[in-house]
Amino acid sequence: MRALHTAATGMMAQELNVQVISNNIANMRTTGYKRQRVEFQDLLYEHVRRVGTQTSEQGNILPAGIELGSGVKTVGTPRVQTQGTLLPTDKPLDVAIRGEGFFKISLPDGRTAYTRDGSFALDAQGRVVTANGFVVQPGLTVAQNAKNLTINAQGQVSVLLPGSTTPTTVGQIGLTRFINKAGLNPIGDNLFTDTPASGTPQDGIANTDGFGDMQQSNLEQANVEVVTEISDLIAAQRAYEMNAKVVSAADQMMQSTANMFR
Amino acid sequence: MENGSLIGLSRQIALQRELDVVANNIANLGTTGYKAAGVVFREFLMPAARTNEHGGTDRKLSFVQDRATWQDFSQGPVEQTGNPLDVALNGDAFLVVQTPRGERYTRNGALQVNAAGELVTSEGHRVVGESGPITLQAGDKDVSISADGTISVREGKNTTDSIRGKLRLVSFADPQRLQKDGTSTFVAPTGVQPQPAALGTRVVQGVIEKSNVRSVIEMTRMIEVTRSYTQVAGILQQQSDMRRSAIEKLAEVPA
Repeated sequence: MRALHTAATGMMAQELNVQVISNNIANMRTTGYKRQRVEFQDLLYEHVRRVGTQTSEQGNILPAGIELGSGVKTVGTPRVQTQGTLLPTDKPLDVAIRGEGFFKISLPDGRTAYTRDGSFALDAQGRVVTANGFVVQPGLTVAQNAKNLTINAQGQVSVLLPGSTTPTTVGQIGLTRFINKAGLNPIGDNLFTDTPASGTPQDGIANTDGFGDMQQSNLEQANVEVVTEISDLIAAQRAYEMNAKVVSAADQMMQSTANMFR
Repeated sequence: MENGSLIGLSRQIALQRELDVVANNIANLGTTGYKAAGVVFREFLMPAARTNEHGGTDRKLSFVQDRATWQDFSQGPVEQTGNPLDVALNGDAFLVVQTPRGERYTRNGALQVNAAGELVTSEGHRVVGESGPITLQAGDKDVSISADGTISVREGKNTTDSIRGKLRLVSFADPQRLQKDGTSTFVAPTGVQPQPAALGTRVVQGVIEKSNVRSVIEMTRMIEVTRSYTQVAGILQQQSDMRRSAIEKLAEVPA
């Protein structure tokens, strides 16, 4: 009976849905996290009686046919790239992007990754690094005795050196954008790498040409809305149960067939 | 076999088909833009005897046959996603998708952008605009899709909107003749031509249309199917018992 397999695809799809929802909830306090959504589509149909088939030589045609579907499949888990709320932190090296763009990070293996998580720090050499110690491009070094570090909306980092009353510019943190942000490849640690689907990275400067601006001493929170996730979770759980009910209904029908004529 | 068994069998086959349709509806409870299907049965009358030469007419035998599945094209519930590239259609219309196998029609408005900046479905097929594919450019931001499907963006530092295209919306005189083609799309059989959608059709941005499967109705249909199936199985069982006892009684040859 086809219904058994159809319901099984439904159960698998809802299981994956719960996985994605639980990952969203687990990351509801992760800086720069973008929630994922599961995208489902129906599977192929068997046309038992094809609509539009001729039923007579006079050219009469079937107005509707019999179509039996074979279930559901998951096509993707695109990220919803909306802006997260900004949380003030009072830490001078926390930067949030308000609008379009990603920070560019050099990975230890030489690759380049991109992130919305701007919780930066200084390492022992005075370089601006991520929470994992990866260098933020273009690689700014802040002198040991510098104080009053400021980052303006364009990403320019300036400090006050001892004996000076005017700020000295250290450098500028650049931003990168992609035509298809949903096509970025998540590699964990809040980092993404570019893929053929994301398009080539386009470097630029914050607050110009459609790039977002930088907000010092702020962090971008995850854009997960707990109420939405919980209601999605309930819906997914119920849908799973209903598919399980279909399995038992199909089982019951097969059982009554098996018990016939004994 | 006697006619009674065959009539019962025709009902059981039809019920299995109906359960298949119900199972597919329930499996697609969460599928964006899915339209529920139903089954249409018809009575299939047959004379009991081969000839009608006898004086009185025979009683007709009534079999059941599944004639068609129909699509419920009613509007599904709308979920707010806040994603600027998600659209739902309010009204009797479809988006047009260009697939390698030809034009397909869909109510699934969870759109995405591919590496070339073109507006595509989650399968990666291009969404057709009034004048070809809709392509966004690298500096575009603040995508807004108006109620008539016009897609406008803010380009770079510009303060005015630039128009990138207009979604092509179509409708059909008789949507029941559309065939489901998987991947949330419909295909028009030969002879069925799409027409421009009616004027009242609105495109809503930032929301998607969920599946219009009503789970309570599907569950009741499922219970109805299993119960009827068991009942028919019971009738078949009784007929079999009857036949067995007849054979036993009649075959008792007195010694």
